[in-house]
Amino acid sequence: MNRGAFVKGVLMALAAMALGWVASKTVASALVMTLLAQSCFYALFALGVGLLIRQNGMVSFGHAAFFGLPGYLIGIGLKQTDIPIELLIPLVVLAVTTFAFLVGLVFVRVHGIAFGMLTLAIGQAVYEASTRLRGLTGGHDGLTIKFPRELFGLPLKTFQQPHGMFLIAWCVLVIVVTLVIWLAHSRLGRLTEAIRENEERAGFLGYRTLWPRAVIFAISAATTAAGGVLFALYNAYISPETVYWTSSGSALIMAVLGGSVAPWGPVLGSMVYFFLKEALGDVTTHWLGIIGISLIVVTVSFPQGLSGLAMRLLGLGARRRHADS
Amino acid sequence: MPILEARAVSKAYGGFLALDNVNLTVEPGEIRALIGPNGAGKSTLIDVLSGRARGHAGQVFFQDAEITPLAPWARRLKGLARSFQKTSIFPALSVRAQLELAARKAEAGGDVGETLAEFGLEGVAERPAGAIGYGDQRRLDLALALTGRPSLLLLDEPAAGLSFEESMKLAKALREMANRRGVTVLLVEHDMEVVFAIADTITVLQLGKVLAEGPPAQVRADPRVVQAYLGSAA
Ligand SMILES: Nc1ncnc2c1ncn2[C@@H]1O[C@H](COP(=O)(O)OP(=O)(O)O)[C@@H](O)[C@H]1O
Ligand SMILES: [Mg+2]
Repeated sequence: MNRGAFVKGVLMALAAMALGWVASKTVASALVMTLLAQSCFYALFALGVGLLIRQNGMVSFGHAAFFGLPGYLIGIGLKQTDIPIELLIPLVVLAVTTFAFLVGLVFVRVHGIAFGMLTLAIGQAVYEASTRLRGLTGGHDGLTIKFPRELFGLPLKTFQQPHGMFLIAWCVLVIVVTLVIWLAHSRLGRLTEAIRENEERAGFLGYRTLWPRAVIFAISAATTAAGGVLFALYNAYISPETVYWTSSGSALIMAVLGGSVAPWGPVLGSMVYFFLKEALGDVTTHWLGIIGISLIVVTVSFPQGLSGLAMRLLGLGARRRHADS
Repeated sequence: MPILEARAVSKAYGGFLALDNVNLTVEPGEIRALIGPNGAGKSTLIDVLSGRARGHAGQVFFQDAEITPLAPWARRLKGLARSFQKTSIFPALSVRAQLELAARKAEAGGDVGETLAEFGLEGVAERPAGAIGYGDQRRLDLALALTGRPSLLLLDEPAAGLSFEESMKLAKALREMANRRGVTVLLVEHDMEVVFAIADTITVLQLGKVLAEGPPAQVRADPRVVQAYLGSAA
């Protein structure tokens, strides 16, 4: 990436953070702030899922494992060890990422349904563990995470109030989105896109095709785990529901709704999902059905998702992904 | 010393012997044509040499080192590149982006710029490869093999689907490029006119066996070749 693009990226990220700060100061409604904060957690979750679709062409049905594991590991870590929280959080993200890389080295050897089933299996394995290892996880009752009163120099309540958490989550999201966009334009991004398109030819250009995809799988898990850390901080509680396969399904819906042409597509998808859910939830208990129908409409009418549609409307000319001829 | 050598290579598909004890040596700098009727085993031999076909008998040497157990990517890093009879490109990536990957270096221009110009792809450089014309895609397939300065090119019918005039033009351009870059070429081509126009040496395959080998004039005069291969056309 050249200098100009780098400076532009940093400026845009700073502008987006400033916008978040203004929003947190001007929007008084705690409900809207809660929704926004939650969409940020799930945006990170879906961003990980979308990243895997975009770079590897692989659909995961088990990312809830990477979203829920940080909460469990932090909760258990705080209970069983003396590791300070400021160190524990990075360690947990590193552990989840490493775990995903190792699993990825095996999983990315297969494609399509087989890959989906393997991810589903890992997700359900984590779910089973969360319900069975009652001593550690609290089983179906869930686990209350006992955070210290102060983290990273801020009082705990800053992390647990909608306004404070929204601003923190928004800044993390902006940083991660910036990194994901940068990744898409990086050498690894280009290479994995090429491998997704034509693995055999990539091999004949001198590239090993296994480990780059495993690295993407790990990055995807790390992105989702970042959302999981924020989720845990905000709720100070985690239960098996969070790692259940329907949770993976929701994130997948957000990623597909937002589209994976633009790296930021899943963010849009999760915002729309949460506000749709809130708006419809008041009117009807069938909101999930309405989301399902919207999903069908979107995927059939706009295969590039809402982000593809937005880019077309803004005249950004969404890059065509398939041949005209 | 030869740049490439195949020793006693045999390859079976099921019970069918596609290559039957083939020996081949290619000298550095030459343009070698590999000809033979459909189904003779030409593509299979290219697959064995490039590492695509596994589970064959015999050995392959490249620049005096045995490469038989090496995967395609490792052979490519040693300088052995190939193109495909059935166009094999990256449809969603721009022409330039995939040539940059093939060049394996981040530097813009340089090798990539040169290749774009040589193959007449400058006009479509920023377009996704899936959206350019068939002729351009064929040349891109070839350009992907040639970028990154390999020392040996295995080209499987680079002119497949092109008209006689286009094939001739491509062959001449290839000869010129090979000379200038000092790259050795092993080329599969079915059109004899094209082959005689550019090859230094010709190897004739038939039913998985080497039928004849030598300079174009000698091969053209060989009665077995005339009967087995040219006979039907003449
Ligand atoms: N993957 C394969 N499975 C089974 N048979 C094959 C396969 N590839 C090639 N063959 C057979 O091997 C023989 C040689 O094929 P090929 O090397 O493609 O010939 P050529 O390139 O000279 O036309 C043909 O009879 C073909 O049908
Ligand atoms: Mg062939």
